Amino acid sequence: MASNERADDVTSYAATVRAQLADLPATERDVLLEDLEQHLAEVAAEGEGSLVDRLGPAEDYAVELRAAYRAGHQTTETTQKTQTNGAYVAERVRAAAARVIDSDWARQIVAFLPELRPAWWVLRGYLAALILTAAFSPGYALGPIPNPAAKRGLAEILAAGVAIWLSVRIGRRSRSLPQGARYLTVSANVVIAFVAVVVLGHMHSFSYSELIGTSTPEQAPFNAAFAAGPTTNIYPYSQDGKPLSNILLYDQDGQPITVQQSDAQTSYPTGADGKPITNAYPLTQRHLNGDPVVAPRVAFPPWPTPSPSPTSTPTASPSPSPTR
Amino acid sequence: MSQAEVDTTQLLKGVLDLAVLAVLADADSYGYDVVRRLRENGLDHVGDASVYGTLRRLYQAGALNSYVVPSDEGPDRKYYGLNNRGRKALDQSAQTWASLSKALNHLLNGRSNDHGK
Repeated sequence: MASNERADDVTSYAATVRAQLADLPATERDVLLEDLEQHLAEVAAEGEGSLVDRLGPAEDYAVELRAAYRAGHQTTETTQKTQTNGAYVAERVRAAAARVIDSDWARQIVAFLPELRPAWWVLRGYLAALILTAAFSPGYALGPIPNPAAKRGLAEILAAGVAIWLSVRIGRRSRSLPQGARYLTVSANVVIAFVAVVVLGHMHSFSYSELIGTSTPEQAPFNAAFAAGPTTNIYPYSQDGKPLSNILLYDQDGQPITVQQSDAQTSYPTGADGKPITNAYPLTQRHLNGDPVVAPRVAFPPWPTPSPSPTSTPTASPSPSPTR
Repeated sequence: MSQAEVDTTQLLKGVLDLAVLAVLADADSYGYDVVRRLRENGLDHVGDASVYGTLRRLYQAGALNSYVVPSDEGPDRKYYGLNNRGRKALDQSAQTWASLSKALNHLLNGRSNDHGK
């Protein structure tokens, strides 16, 4: 074979092989075919006859080449991606996930989940009602279970009932729903679950304030004070609302009751023994700027009509503010 | 292609890397020369494209180095040789092959003993 003939043979054979491998990713193709012509020229130079005679059809050559090049790659033929680090990591993650999914306990959980479906339907309805209540009544003290004695609570319970009934109805029919509607249900589930987490997160503080509101009257001031901050002074009043002074307070062990130091400057009366008396209330306090701390406005409780004392009933005092 | 040839081709696929590395461990070589040496060593059915593809893959994997040598009577030849990585790969693959062939020989001998020769 003349050398120019041979060169033409190589060129056309290589062109066919390249065309057959055109679908490979560019980087792989470049590496694989970088010196295909050079190699074919070597082959052609080593013997007689055309390349097709010696190597078979170029199409078959391309198939063999692809197989040989792919043999060492971990990725499958169909993904046709170079084995980058990212692909390697993804492969490892997939393998790990497959191990978890194949494990016995994962199988048991997956088998058990469908049995929880009706429970989720009920919960979904309840949560939906809760979300609607929260959405339409900002600031309303939302409780996990509405008070059935209140008109509003009764309405909430009814709404929850209807929502649960609807939710179960949708759930029972979800299998026969068209594809689009099923996607819609799944999205609604996700939204309800997500929003419910937010609403429930707020409910904690709601129910806490609710607790304070429904606590017994003796506890209420303490809770209120506790919620407002530490006690820094105590203002005793007589039953008829007269402010008292120098009231000595002791606890059940006979220890003087003292309060937390505040920013205000406290001046304690000094006893005959030269020691300060720290439990005589109200304490005399001055703000840092020198102004005396004045007694707060207080609301007195209305005593029952057959007052234990014959003194006049407090008239000027307002009724106790609703504690909530 | 006969059934025997197809079988050989399939079996060869898995060990062609090892065969090519072994040939290059002997001496640096260019594509067609590797094919010829494999055939001389009894791997009659090894395909040119398989060897070329394997060489390119091993080169890309960093197991081989390559250099071009001008030839008097033909085109320049691209020679391939083992680098450290290639030698390591050869050692590992050789061990794997040794244990695999030992196990297979054991299996096959057991079979021929069972059936009597």
